[in-house]
Amino acid sequence: MHRSVPLWLIVAVIVLAPLALGQTEQVPITASGVVVHGPERIGTLPPVLIPPDNPQTSAKILLGKKVYFDTRLSKDNTVSCATCHDPARGWSDAGPTSKGINSQMGGRRSPPVSNSAHNPLQFWDGRAPSLEEQAKGPIQNPIEMGNTHDVMLRTLNDVPGYVEEFKDAFGTTPITIDQVAQAIAAFERTVVTTDSPFDRYVQGAGTALTCQERKGLEIFNGKGHCSACHWGGNLSDGRFHNLGAEPIEPGKPDEGRMAVTKNSRDLGAFKTPTIRDVALRAPYLHTGKEKTLEDVVRFYNRGGGTEDSNLDPMMVPLGLSEEEIQALVAFMTRAMTSTNPEVAGVKPIPQTELPK
Amino acid sequence: MRKLSVLIAGALALLVLQPEPGQAIPAFARKYGFNCQMCHTSFTKLNDYGQRFRDNGYQQPGQEGLEKNVFQTFPPISLRTSTGLIVAHDPARKNTTSGFHLNGLDLLAAGVMHKNISFLLIYTPRIDEPAASFAGVGSMDPSQPGALESANLVFSNLIQDALSLRVGRFEPAYHPISSKRSYYLLQPYEVYGFSTPGNSFVFDDNQIGIEATGHFKQGFKYGVGIVNGTGANPDNNNAKDFYVNLSKIIGRGDGQSSGQRLGAFAYYGWVPTSIMVDFSGAAGDADGKMNEPFYRVGGHASLNWTTFNLQALVMYGEDDEQINNLRYGDKYHFTGGFGRLDWSGLANNRLLASALFNWVTPPNYDDARRVQVFSALVRYYLGDWTAVNIALHGEYTYQKVGKTNPARQHQFAALLDFDF
Repeated sequence: MHRSVPLWLIVAVIVLAPLALGQTEQVPITASGVVVHGPERIGTLPPVLIPPDNPQTSAKILLGKKVYFDTRLSKDNTVSCATCHDPARGWSDAGPTSKGINSQMGGRRSPPVSNSAHNPLQFWDGRAPSLEEQAKGPIQNPIEMGNTHDVMLRTLNDVPGYVEEFKDAFGTTPITIDQVAQAIAAFERTVVTTDSPFDRYVQGAGTALTCQERKGLEIFNGKGHCSACHWGGNLSDGRFHNLGAEPIEPGKPDEGRMAVTKNSRDLGAFKTPTIRDVALRAPYLHTGKEKTLEDVVRFYNRGGGTEDSNLDPMMVPLGLSEEEIQALVAFMTRAMTSTNPEVAGVKPIPQTELPK
Repeated sequence: MRKLSVLIAGALALLVLQPEPGQAIPAFARKYGFNCQMCHTSFTKLNDYGQRFRDNGYQQPGQEGLEKNVFQTFPPISLRTSTGLIVAHDPARKNTTSGFHLNGLDLLAAGVMHKNISFLLIYTPRIDEPAASFAGVGSMDPSQPGALESANLVFSNLIQDALSLRVGRFEPAYHPISSKRSYYLLQPYEVYGFSTPGNSFVFDDNQIGIEATGHFKQGFKYGVGIVNGTGANPDNNNAKDFYVNLSKIIGRGDGQSSGQRLGAFAYYGWVPTSIMVDFSGAAGDADGKMNEPFYRVGGHASLNWTTFNLQALVMYGEDDEQINNLRYGDKYHFTGGFGRLDWSGLANNRLLASALFNWVTPPNYDDARRVQVFSALVRYYLGDWTAVNIALHGEYTYQKVGKTNPARQHQFAALLDFDF
């Protein structure tokens, strides 16, 4: 009996397989080292995963909400988390980049807090492995809150109301930086938007989307290539891509993810943001240079921004027509905007109502 | 008499060389939850993203190792066929034929086995359709022969972007414009299927061997390979064939749906001119004797403007005089090519229109096989946001074969083309 495959091919496969198998594994995209394999079909959000060392309690969530809106975290009592992550602006801000103490402008746009519980890594460059770690960062960032953890903790520990509420939530005193971070993170894990027309449509309500929005969804998942990165329940891969966005300051490129990984393949790469509620938080990209959703779609339609040696290989011109651009914008504008009362109704807590 | 036999042979060749259904692989769409237009301008033609996905071993470009493998997803199997009415008319004889047809079946499987190791299998099962005669059921010649059209492993990014290897039977890189992913269901690329006298090589065949491909940030792409050359398994001689295809993409994109791609290819092969076989290897290969050379060279272009895409290929072929059994002592030369203009319209490219011109110019002493064909088609894609993989397909072809007293034929097809 003749063998059906030439011997030399078998030898070639045997020789080559170890070459490919032996390649260096890509840096895991989560701090835990667990790679989220995808793309997954776009759809509804799964439940938020709660870390075992920071269980959700109603006392902690309410406390976290108060801390979130409290400007006393900052050096000059002018900036709270909500200053840059404003519920009324899609949990981001007016941009283009964030304004910290003394009206200093940050180097990047404020990423949304809503649904950030579903991000495997936090910040545009993914330098924080959890919401807890993320919450600690801005407090001591000289441009954002300009404080130190020690000074901020002294401030909070001097507020009897906070001392009491932290003791109720965590059972210990004095207040620690980990407790502050855990409380904020516990609150942020409740800021999840799950009730958009898109959610209702994928759950079977065929009339939840207009004809134009359905076209937009089809393009989002096809010719527009959007779901190549904006996939899963959060419509984000949580990964990092270089779109060729022009730097905020000409001639001063932002290293992006490479500053964390030191891997040149991550140069200029930034985390994919969620599409949920995207219409509420113009302007767009990490630079805030694209003013409207239509501008962003046109940006992608051109194949991204400037020529960049590290441009993501998924970035190609899309060839969208005017009608397709408008359909895509329509889909992202109304169909992806949440009506969750528990989220949309979050109002800033006036400073006068915070613990004293 | 000889002219008639050549005409009949040509007509039979046209039937046999009907393009096989193309390679749209819905298993990928199911794996990712995408619809077909993620990778296809409209199925079956790849867009830039799809081309990069294929070049990257069926992995999202830049995302190697971050996606599910075949063991973590739906079974990566797809099927494709088309069905409908085909009408042919011979204006000289005033003959018209018509019939409903099923145009074969492709079984496709493809996926990632491990980071940077993937596979593609395409099997066309033997289909025995009883050919009708006026008296009823006739012969049982298969309407589709069983064949392993593709079976290959891809080792991607052995050097990041710059070197991938494809091993097995595959669609070779010297097919710069894929016939497997052509929109046309009736009309093949004539020059791809043109077989020269005494030469078993057919340009359109998938080949068995090993191929290296790569691309660079400056827009250069290459593909080089070493193959049996017969497209067959086992080989008929010990001399292996070589090829190279080089392309340059100008502008952003991959030349499929954006950017402008220009390139050149060359194939150099050997064909045995003696069937005397002294020895047959354990794997069945024959050591065919008196191998004589032949080559094919050409250029290709894919030009994009808004939603128009013009793809064109020109080829020159030469066979050694020892191969040419139509006129011994003369080298056999031919030229040929095609130009195809596609236009996509409606949201998500639901509507596709295309025009195609094919020609092959053999030497004067073989001018009965001169071919000129004009074809056009319209496709409309049904479906919803999860899968746009049913096409209403209307195709027209006007064919002129031969130089003096050419045979002419009009052909029209209304088909449903679908895969799932």
